[in-house]
Amino acid sequence: MTDRRTVRWLGAIAVLAVVMAACSGDDDDSSSGTTDPDGDTEITLAQEGSRLEAIREEGVLKCGTRDALPGFAVLEGSDHVGFDADFCRVIAAAILGDAEAVEFVDLETEARFTALQSGEIDVLVRNTTFTAGRDGGEGATFVQPNFYDGQGMMVNADSEFESIEDMSSTSICVAAGTTTEGNVASEFERLGLDLIEVLSFSDTAQLQDAFIAGRCDGWSSDTSQLTGFRSEFPDGPDALRILPDVFSKEPLAPAVRDGDTDLAQAVNWAIYATIQAEEFGIDSSNIGDFAGSEDPNIRKFLGDDIEEGGTFDPGLDLPSDFNLQVITQVGNYAEIFEEHLAPLGLDRGENTLWSDGGLLYAPPYR
Amino acid sequence: MTTATTTTATQRPPLWRDVRILRIVFQAVAVAAVVAFGLWLWNNLQTNAETTNIPLGFDYLDQPADLTVPGNSFNQSQSVRDAIMVGLGNTVRVAIAGIVLATVLGTLIGIARLSTNWLLANLARAYVELFRNIPLLIIVVFSYSAIFLRLPSLDSAQSYAGVLLPSIRGIGVVWFTTDEKGGAIGAVAIVALVAMVAAVRWRRSVQDRTGAPSHGGLYGVGALLVVFVAGLAVLGFPLGFTTPELDGRRIVGGITMLPEYAALLFALVVYTASHIAEIVRGSIQAVPKGQNEAASALALSVSQRMRLIVLPQAMRIAVPALGNQYLNLTKNSSLAVAISFFELTKITQVSIANRAPAVPSYTLLLVIYLALSLILSLIVNLANRRLALVER
Repeated sequence: MTDRRTVRWLGAIAVLAVVMAACSGDDDDSSSGTTDPDGDTEITLAQEGSRLEAIREEGVLKCGTRDALPGFAVLEGSDHVGFDADFCRVIAAAILGDAEAVEFVDLETEARFTALQSGEIDVLVRNTTFTAGRDGGEGATFVQPNFYDGQGMMVNADSEFESIEDMSSTSICVAAGTTTEGNVASEFERLGLDLIEVLSFSDTAQLQDAFIAGRCDGWSSDTSQLTGFRSEFPDGPDALRILPDVFSKEPLAPAVRDGDTDLAQAVNWAIYATIQAEEFGIDSSNIGDFAGSEDPNIRKFLGDDIEEGGTFDPGLDLPSDFNLQVITQVGNYAEIFEEHLAPLGLDRGENTLWSDGGLLYAPPYR
Repeated sequence: MTTATTTTATQRPPLWRDVRILRIVFQAVAVAAVVAFGLWLWNNLQTNAETTNIPLGFDYLDQPADLTVPGNSFNQSQSVRDAIMVGLGNTVRVAIAGIVLATVLGTLIGIARLSTNWLLANLARAYVELFRNIPLLIIVVFSYSAIFLRLPSLDSAQSYAGVLLPSIRGIGVVWFTTDEKGGAIGAVAIVALVAMVAAVRWRRSVQDRTGAPSHGGLYGVGALLVVFVAGLAVLGFPLGFTTPELDGRRIVGGITMLPEYAALLFALVVYTASHIAEIVRGSIQAVPKGQNEAASALALSVSQRMRLIVLPQAMRIAVPALGNQYLNLTKNSSLAVAISFFELTKITQVSIANRAPAVPSYTLLLVIYLALSLILSLIVNLANRRLALVER
């Protein structure tokens, strides 16, 4: 009895082994033979003419952003309002000529890169720090930062902390899924301070709740975010204090899928348009005055006819008047900043033109 | 003609109609289909990962984790592998404590549900109906925000007789110190446990031979205490106590429970106990009434009837269902991500935020939970086999 059972089992296993071998052999054969076109279609699906082509065909830009970061992207009614949301519109205006042709996709921090990789979104404009590890490892390509930020620390206004160096033996709360967590630990180690713990919360409401309850002494995040949360703090902004130390570089940059240089170029030049316009002194209200300008650089920039007839086409695969569309429909960098970030109490800081000592520098449009 | 028919009858049918062969062929085809589907999925994943430049390897495990774990000395320069081990430790910690507490609480409530005392029975019923019908995530968040975040702040925290120090930064509880003789004390504890088991067995054999009441529990605990205290005396009473105290913003001495851990444990216990209570109640009611009546006819007391006749039979029915609840509790501990308790899932998520690639990280997470669940099922199955009726 047992013998026969063993034999039966052995037989089953043998059959399984044969099938598997045959199957994998089969698979190998087919992958060298038939999957070649198959593999090609998959590759072309991912890379064909880049997402830029697909965006134009669909007539809508799927922009990954968020719904509750004051100043950057907040859902008001059915509308996304904020700095990042406006940069989604800038990109849509440049590619499609219509700033409202944006489908906003709200993403959790943990899901943002996966959404980009899977093609759920075309471009990620979600307050994301540009780092080497992410550029290399997340299947994303970062473009021109639209905001230069740095990590800071916020404490209760009546606490004794005047700088990070006073904060030995403290607990710090941060938002989960960001570079913030590691930065806090590194900074404390660098200063030789004792850090009790770093708590991270996915939900900023939960984070604020824990902070108010006194679970932690400091709330660390990018200064711009802290300013935003402070402006909407339930006890009023004066209950909180942002320490003067800024202890990391956080260039916040949009990202596209890795390898999609066409779309990366388009997004880059859409952002440069806002910077270049500010440099020229062009904004959405006075742009009419610049039509038919004598300055050849401005004529090129706005897509006016240049002397030999025809318009200047840098070959970016964008409409020749994309700069004009960006500025008329959304505005230049200064306008976007003043509308969304200045009300939070943020000043331009590094985010001024290079000619004013800032970091905003657009390559020449020629 | 007749010979011809007999030969066809004894002859095997052609291959394509031979049931024995067809059976094997169909199974082989089914297996092949499943395997092919799996390979197709894998191939798809690899192709897509390649085109989008997503790494699939496990090299990231040796990279520095760049994170700190509250309540643990984990250093940010340690590897992701170590971080995952710390997370696994925290998951196991909360799962074991949760399983023990939920079983005790659930059994008590399940028995209370059958009480003849109207108030007790209905309180138990209200408990079950309340917690069984709320999503666990909400209990977790509520337990954290509404209970454990409302613990005294640092300024107002005070120690209760040096035994308990509840504060929002941690709940300090008095604990033992072992003067570097921890190993010896452990050995004494094991000897004491062996003595307890021996005492219980001895009393049971006495009962079997003479019919005298065994009082096994009494003798067992007695043996345990006597041996343990005697052992400690031999070692020169190396056992001391440390009381929790507030030192700046840190609790020193005793053992400290993080509010996040306490909140998660509380939520898991309260929720799972409501399910266990129903299992216990159902199992007790499933024991044939005649058993209880027969025990009653033998003049056994209420507690003896429950303890000696009903519960042992009810346990047999309850064990497989309890096993499911234990598995659920272990897996539900991943809801800790909502309240920043650094168990397995939370640590995986944080390390993904710090560069670890998502697909391998989640694959690893999946495999670890699978392994945990299988180990737990194995234990439950062993218990079940021991308890199951042996039919001859």
